Amino acid sequence: MLQSIITQFLSGFSVVAILVIAALGLAIIFGVAGVINMAHGELIMVGAYTAAVVGKLGGNTFLAIPVAFIVVGLLGLIIERGVIQWIYDRPLETLLATWGVGIILQVVIKLIFGPELYYVGAPKILEGGFRVIGRLPFPWYRLFLIVMALLLLLLVFYVIFKTDFGLKVRAVRRNRAISGCLGIDTARIDMTIFAFGSGLAGIAGAVLAPIKSVSTAMGFPYAVDSYMVLVLGGVGSLWGVLTGGALIGEAETILSFIFNNVIGRLLVFLFIVIIIRIVPRGIFGYSERR
Amino acid sequence: MKDAPAAKQGVQPRHRVYRAPTFMPLWALIGGAAVIALIGTYPYYGSNAYVLSLLGKFLCFAIFALSIDLIWGFTGILSLGQAVYFGIGAYFVALSLKINYAMTHPTRYGGNFPDFMEWNGLTELPGFMTPLISTPFAVLCALVVPTLLALLFGVITFKRHIYGVYCAVITLAESLILQDFIIEYQAYTGGFNGITDYSNYATPAFLWVILAVVVVFFVAARALTHSRVGTVLKSIRDNDVRAEFMGYNVANYRIFVFCASAFMAAAAGALYAAWVGIVSFLDAGPVFSIEGVIWTAVGGRGTIIGPFIGAFLVKGAEFFLSGVLASWWQIIVGGLFIFVVLVMRDGIVGSIGNWLRKRRKGATLHQIIEESDQKAHDRQLDWQPGGPPPMDEPVR
Repeated sequence: MLQSIITQFLSGFSVVAILVIAALGLAIIFGVAGVINMAHGELIMVGAYTAAVVGKLGGNTFLAIPVAFIVVGLLGLIIERGVIQWIYDRPLETLLATWGVGIILQVVIKLIFGPELYYVGAPKILEGGFRVIGRLPFPWYRLFLIVMALLLLLLVFYVIFKTDFGLKVRAVRRNRAISGCLGIDTARIDMTIFAFGSGLAGIAGAVLAPIKSVSTAMGFPYAVDSYMVLVLGGVGSLWGVLTGGALIGEAETILSFIFNNVIGRLLVFLFIVIIIRIVPRGIFGYSERR
Repeated sequence: MKDAPAAKQGVQPRHRVYRAPTFMPLWALIGGAAVIALIGTYPYYGSNAYVLSLLGKFLCFAIFALSIDLIWGFTGILSLGQAVYFGIGAYFVALSLKINYAMTHPTRYGGNFPDFMEWNGLTELPGFMTPLISTPFAVLCALVVPTLLALLFGVITFKRHIYGVYCAVITLAESLILQDFIIEYQAYTGGFNGITDYSNYATPAFLWVILAVVVVFFVAARALTHSRVGTVLKSIRDNDVRAEFMGYNVANYRIFVFCASAFMAAAAGALYAAWVGIVSFLDAGPVFSIEGVIWTAVGGRGTIIGPFIGAFLVKGAEFFLSGVLASWWQIIVGGLFIFVVLVMRDGIVGSIGNWLRKRRKGATLHQIIEESDQKAHDRQLDWQPGGPPPMDEPVR
């Protein structure tokens, strides 16, 4: 029993990695631009379809990652210019508008690719697995997911904390009006951040495609999970993404193993509600001064 | 205007006097009665059974949209899990009707309990479901359980100032989990297929029952939003911090309206289950919740009649156009979300109201609110130490 729990704990790391990868783009869009992007799941889905197309053309996941970043990033740019730039001041309504965008994306993708499922293979060198403990092998691809999550976190940390652009982003996040007075083009920052976040969602889709059959409805559960990660960890904090992802991923894996999937999810949900009852802004969320 | 003393002295009155609208103007009363008569007598002049079933369905959807309007349009709480309450209400009633149906219609292997339970390996009705044999008790459960659930949710979140985005996300997850729960525990809920094949009440008499409930909720919602409580609710929607500073217990008002709305949604679900005769996990899912939000937005949030018009228009268009347009219909729905947010912010009813107001007074509601906010702001800027700020404007 103990050994199986340890195995579950280890395989939980890959669930954590998946959550972190999926939530990163959303954390940036939601945390900095303040947009409740309900189309996030669909952006992940488009990223996965991009990976499927790249796979059809002979590429593998490593090639799909930059391609998906660019394709979905451009898509995010179009969405931002077309819809979201007019409604930054009404966050709850960005939710409705982006939901509409999500529906349209789903239908368009379905019209292009048809209703059937696509399967994307993992790259050759990541096939198979290794044994850590117990009888079940730990797949290399899961390890790749964990490495990928860490790399993406590092990338976002670097962009936000070490670049000129990141400095402006943080300034806009702290005080939009004053940043504007100091000559930062806040609308441009919002636009870039939305495109960047969308691109990260694209990467998430490309990376997640091999472990999940690619369909038009695949994105929505990821979006909801990502939101739960953000709500638990705290909006606008990268540590929050890691913490929230870790808590939810591990708790869900272990509880699902002990009980079943649904009870596991229910318990995790209750756990999240209790936590944010104690810290309403999430574990790492800071209370904003009005 | 002629008799006002200010006008006699040659001074124009500085501000519009706010008059509360009448509770129900005569034209609305007559129009409403006409619509009710038109719908209620359909079984006697129309022969299309499909249209009849749609009418009852749409009325339930309209109640559901009204419940969303109460919390979103009037109080500013966007819940994406309203279908949870609708679904629980519907499942209680459907289960009870199914159990009663099974008592007189044995399953293929001779069991006197619902067939989906037999398929899933149960040999008799589970003990905790026996009280549901009594349909009145089930109806009571269908109404009380969702309301209590909403109370619990409200106490947990609103008391800690969790609202807005957080509330939307949590309710969304809540409804997703309920949906998973229904699919997983198929021995008790019918799972993916839902609960079907029971004797439902799709009779003209029951249509009148639904209509009566619609009217009761309509009048109740109108009375609520036109009372002092309703004014507080609207002030919470427009500026919750200011409402709190004025001494109102914002959390309790939110909890109250959330429970009232859950009750309404549950009643809609109960009627829906009894009318349609099929309940599935989709009726408790997030997609249905958001559909309700879009009906409200299209009809006009913050108006009582808006949700009705929105539900009938959008759902009616879906039933008659989705067959012709196939998946293009979904694109139209998606576009509708964007259109309502970007262009027609106040929905159909709100837009008509704005147009009338513009013709009459030269300002839309938004402009009036913004203007008065600006005045209040200016007054604060003019304030000098040593004297209270001038208060010459009646507080709306």
